Amino acid sequence: MNTEPNIPDPDGFYAALVQAHEGLSEAASADLNARLVLLLANQCGQQAVLLACLHAAQEAAPATPT
Amino acid sequence: MTNYRFAPPYELPSFAFTPPPELQGGNPGRYPIVIVGAGPAGLTLACDLAQRGVRSVLIDEDNTVGVRGASSRGICYAQKSLEILDRLGIAERAVAKGVAWSLGRTFSGSEEVYSFNLQDHSVSTQPPFINLQQFYLEWFLVDRLQALGLTDLRWRTRVTQIETRNDHVRLQVDTPDGAYTLEASTLIDATGANSPIRTQLGLATHASRSTDRWCITDVRFTHPLPTERWTWVDAPFNDGRAVWQHLMADGVWRIDYQMPEDADPEAISQPEVAGSRLRAQLGPDVEFEFVWIGPYGYRDHLLDDFRVGQVFFIGDAGHVVSPFGARGGNTGMQDAANLGWKLALVEQGLAPDTLLDSYSAERRAACVENLQVTSRSARFLAPRSPAEHTLRRAVLALARQHPFARALVNTGRMSMANDYPPSACLPQGARSVQNLALPDRQGRPTALMHLLRQGTHCLGLWFAPTTGARAEAEARLRQTGLPARLVAIGGPEADLHDPDEVLARHLGLAPGDSAGTLCLLRPDAYLAATLPACTADTFIHALRVATGHAAALEPLTT
Repeated sequence: MNTEPNIPDPDGFYAALVQAHEGLSEAASADLNARLVLLLANQCGQQAVLLACLHAAQEAAPATPT
Repeated sequence: MTNYRFAPPYELPSFAFTPPPELQGGNPGRYPIVIVGAGPAGLTLACDLAQRGVRSVLIDEDNTVGVRGASSRGICYAQKSLEILDRLGIAERAVAKGVAWSLGRTFSGSEEVYSFNLQDHSVSTQPPFINLQQFYLEWFLVDRLQALGLTDLRWRTRVTQIETRNDHVRLQVDTPDGAYTLEASTLIDATGANSPIRTQLGLATHASRSTDRWCITDVRFTHPLPTERWTWVDAPFNDGRAVWQHLMADGVWRIDYQMPEDADPEAISQPEVAGSRLRAQLGPDVEFEFVWIGPYGYRDHLLDDFRVGQVFFIGDAGHVVSPFGARGGNTGMQDAANLGWKLALVEQGLAPDTLLDSYSAERRAACVENLQVTSRSARFLAPRSPAEHTLRRAVLALARQHPFARALVNTGRMSMANDYPPSACLPQGARSVQNLALPDRQGRPTALMHLLRQGTHCLGLWFAPTTGARAEAEARLRQTGLPARLVAIGGPEADLHDPDEVLARHLGLAPGDSAGTLCLLRPDAYLAATLPACTADTFIHALRVATGHAAALEPLTT
């Protein structure tokens, strides 16, 4: 799993992500994220990296739910 | 209210109870092998043994075939099961009666989101799958058992108590003519999911029950539909829940509807309710008649060991999984084929008792895999949380456009012969070899299963052996008495020819580089060892390992 900066235009990507969620209900946002996760997982295509990312995402959850 | 029509019930055979010697003043008989339960697993084992010339006693509490109260439980028979039936001589009958299929399609709403064709991976003489009512399969097996004449079939005989002794098991049974006792040196429990034998031995089953509910409708209609396996993840005509549709023998369709979790089994199986579901699916003008309506839930369980002393568990008595992918009855039949040849060799004094331990090691590993595979399908079909629904919606939405997401759509992964992990008898692990037909010296097609039909022996499939090497191996075979038969594939004294290297490729050999390699097939058609540049010594050693005579002291060459 690569956790060093790898996105060429981080601010541009984040803006596009926020833009994609704009005006969506909570449920529609969740659906969008889920489709995005699956598409990105297929780009990665490496089982060990996918599982490491899954683990890292779980680990990064804030201690107390906000 | 519409009046729905039911077809007359199937006419099944009725087998007579014959009073055994024990009820005619004889002492408790001691039998080498007693099988309890004449379902697909028990019948397959009895038939496998009889085909090998081994006698057994087969006990069943009923006097007919099929499951009491159910029109048919199992319907899908996988290629490996059909190959076993081919070895037992009844595959043609089963295939002729059943409906062969290889194509599966999955729909979401009214759109196809996934399909597979099992024929793509087949080199077998048997089709990838047939659909056939379970009682027909059992019927054909009983007919075959009667023709072979080595099985003591004891109908209407219910086991009431078992007692394990040092070297045998004592059974109390009840019959229409009264109770009696018999003894088994080896007892096979094939009594199914609610095994009284397992219960009496107090074995942990690690059971879990699903809250998912389904309702089967077996029905005849004249509406033309393809004979493919169709599944809907979320059918518009079933309130967005799953539906299964396939054709069995006698023009009977099995349509299986997923129901709400809290559905009342009695209410959902009323003919009016089932009829309106069918109407919604087939349209207003299709005439139909019901054959059977059956609501069900499912559960799973798995024993820690499929062998406990002299008691062996096969089929549902040892393991139950959810029905997705047809891994129930097929697994039971494959348990039987795994155990049959081992029992035969031990019974005939040609292998040590420890060979029987490999039954549990191999088949339990298969069942662990089946449990994992079926649990994943069950979870896809019955999401447990809003988040799981979200993920599944994402998969289905993407699958409409993008091939990668279709692989995530899971309405059941069809039963395949499971690979076996490395073990004492299988240092390389093992995988099943399909029933290829190759031309013999006269050009007549010869299927591998037919080479395994007589007696109990391994097959040494030797690619282009030299005359000297083969003669030496044959001499060593005669000298050791080990159960094997050598078959030369090509070469100076070919028994069979593999002109297009279909067999070599199927066995995992590099095309053009198979000469001298011997592939050791067990009697259950699992590839036990691949021996490049095989000699008489390496062959005999591999054979001794595969039949439990020797530990694999040094790793066999790969």
